[in-house]
Amino acid sequence: MEAAGAAHAQDAHEAHPPEAHRSSRVEPQLLGMLLFIISEVMIFGAFFTAYFFIRVVNADPWPAHGTELPVAVAGVNTAILLSSSLTMHWTLTSVKNGNRFGLKAGILSTFLLGATFLFVQINEYAHVGFAPHDSAQGSIFYGLTGLHGAHVFIGLTLLAMVTVRAFRGHYSPEEHRGVEVPGIYWHFVDVMWIIVYSTIYVL
Amino acid sequence: MLNPLRSEAEAFRFLIYVVVTVVLIVAVVLLGRAIL
Repeated sequence: MEAAGAAHAQDAHEAHPPEAHRSSRVEPQLLGMLLFIISEVMIFGAFFTAYFFIRVVNADPWPAHGTELPVAVAGVNTAILLSSSLTMHWTLTSVKNGNRFGLKAGILSTFLLGATFLFVQINEYAHVGFAPHDSAQGSIFYGLTGLHGAHVFIGLTLLAMVTVRAFRGHYSPEEHRGVEVPGIYWHFVDVMWIIVYSTIYVL
Repeated sequence: MLNPLRSEAEAFRFLIYVVVTVVLIVAVVLLGRAIL
């Protein structure tokens, strides 16, 4: 009986097209995030093209002569950002299991870790010792890390909204899309930082 | 197939794969530079 019902549902799905402006395969929120992240990858790609151009095509020294990048501080900052992805995952796991303490503690710690990352980044700008207009390398450094920092700021804004809603009693094991989508975005921001850190600071 | 845009759990798994891959690439490049 159940199999017949499932087959009928499958037929109905195939017989009728989805509603106008809707995909039958991807939910609108996830489709929006997909398109957004694709455009983001292209923006970062443009900046990385400039980076690889001066390093590979021009063979300029990296960083510029007489400058030094704070690799260790940025490494600690990387660990902080990666920790925030762990707490973000804990947040989602908690809300799915109906653990409200885990939801609130997880999202608050994710926000605080992200804010710490941004604070350290701004502090790094104040002490790094060169400006964007000093050299092509300086422009690329500030461009790429600044672009990423802007994304962290957007992510923190989303996390702040989720934090307020979590403390107001929103979200449940059945309805947690409002945490899920910012979570996907936050992991994307971390993925980009891993690539930025390894190319700008380490290699 | 892993789709990091489908859910947070898959995005988190994707992040772990990226971290492992980048660490391996960086290790190979640094090792290559040290040897050559």
